[in-house]
Amino acid sequence: MSKIKLSKISKTYKAGLFKKKVRALTDLSLSVDAGTVYGLIGPNGAGKSTTIRLLLNLSRPDRGTVRIDALPVHESLGAIGYLPENPYLYDHLTLKELLFFAGRATGLATSDIRQLMEHLTATVGLDHVRGKSLRTFSKGMRQRAGLCFALLHDPSLVILDEPMSGLDPLGRKMVCDLILSLKKQGKTIFFCSHILSDIERLCDRIAVLHQGQMVREFTPDEITELRQGKMDLETEFIDVVERNEVHA
Amino acid sequence: MIGRIWALALVTFKEGLRDRSLYGIFLFALFVLGLNVLVAGFFMRDLGKVTVDMNLSALSFAGLLLVFFIGINLMAKDIDKKTIHLVLSKPFSRGEYIWGKFTGLVMFVGATQLVLLVFSSATVAVVRWMYPNFFAGFSWGIFITAVFFVFLQHVLLCAIVVFFSSLTSSSFISLIFSLASYIVGITLEEVVFYLRTPTANEEVAGAEFLQRSLEVVTWLVPNFAAFDFKLEAAHGLALEFSHLGVTFGYACLYIMLLLILASVIFSRREFN
Repeated sequence: MSKIKLSKISKTYKAGLFKKKVRALTDLSLSVDAGTVYGLIGPNGAGKSTTIRLLLNLSRPDRGTVRIDALPVHESLGAIGYLPENPYLYDHLTLKELLFFAGRATGLATSDIRQLMEHLTATVGLDHVRGKSLRTFSKGMRQRAGLCFALLHDPSLVILDEPMSGLDPLGRKMVCDLILSLKKQGKTIFFCSHILSDIERLCDRIAVLHQGQMVREFTPDEITELRQGKMDLETEFIDVVERNEVHA
Repeated sequence: MIGRIWALALVTFKEGLRDRSLYGIFLFALFVLGLNVLVAGFFMRDLGKVTVDMNLSALSFAGLLLVFFIGINLMAKDIDKKTIHLVLSKPFSRGEYIWGKFTGLVMFVGATQLVLLVFSSATVAVVRWMYPNFFAGFSWGIFITAVFFVFLQHVLLCAIVVFFSSLTSSSFISLIFSLASYIVGITLEEVVFYLRTPTANEEVAGAEFLQRSLEVVTWLVPNFAAFDFKLEAAHGLALEFSHLGVTFGYACLYIMLLLILASVIFSRREFN
């Protein structure tokens, strides 16, 4: 069964002083099966963040439908955990308070919040700073705190927008391990990143978005070839983007 | 639903209390209250009235600073800095977000006003103890009622802040519109009253047209002057329950309308 189903989505924005229309997505259709790690890649302005905002009901499509677990998005937000590229957290709160907020917002009991918080903060290496104010956190620590915020209520769908952004190599390894562990637990992960090596290593499905359109979706066999080194994702990516740039 | 609103209200409240600007506003209010004790003796005749008036003005002004400098940021910055993306990724409805933020703002303003009220009451008690002859008509009941209506005025202002923040992504624009609403709301009654006098027709060109236009504005902008009971508190004049009830109902109605409108607008809004 599809966890995420986007059918013929089109979206335009009005940007600037004169409200000029900007087309962000054109007839985008994609389907992500439950338990899959789905990687969406594309150049800046390709429409990745717009796609994520549609999945979170922060934005609505002009045309087409977005379904999560066959339900409209606003009915399935409880099943989603989201980490933005730059998580702007509540600066004056401590990590513990932030996670209690996440737990209460998703209807968890206090004892469960405490237990999950201890486990998660230990996993991401923030257990020693639970009582510290988030304003004292470095960028990498904020990213990890954002991960805890996204995962606390044990969501079945995890949406990650550039999860490695701002992380040192150890932090990146930790996030990679976490994604693999979530995959083992059967979670669906929708994942945008510019770090192609991470995409290649972690994803079961990879799609390339360019100028609001899906220009390439790699088959499972192609992904196996990518991992075996028979194909290079960066070369394929540049090639498909350049080819479609000409036709655009 | 209540759990989610409460969770957001608690976060908003804590964020407000930990804002460093709060200390500055508190120090300013305490300075004015302390100054009241020091300079009270300079007012030979209306010492009691001046003390009560100065205390209520200090509470009112400190409350305004709290709403405009901290309150605005508690909601508008959520949108400005995109923290709202994280919050709305949890199962919050847009209406719950509006009510949660408003409740948190009211808790913040209420808690800070309560602390200031303690200091203010202490100031009044000290001055009253020093100059008991000048407080013959003073009543704690009327004083506390006047403070409650100052608080109610700030709650209404919080609803205005939430309303404008639901319209725009910029905290600066929210500030400008909220401030303008307050200035219009606090002065409108006096201006309309003046325009109704015969002298206004002689002094102001087009006074009748202006009066009619402003009467339309009175339906749009809340009359903040209606919450001002400084005069009654300073002179120890009895307050009519019907008057207080109507003022309270007026505030509640306005707040409900603003929050319902804000919820509707916010539900239709997209975040990019």
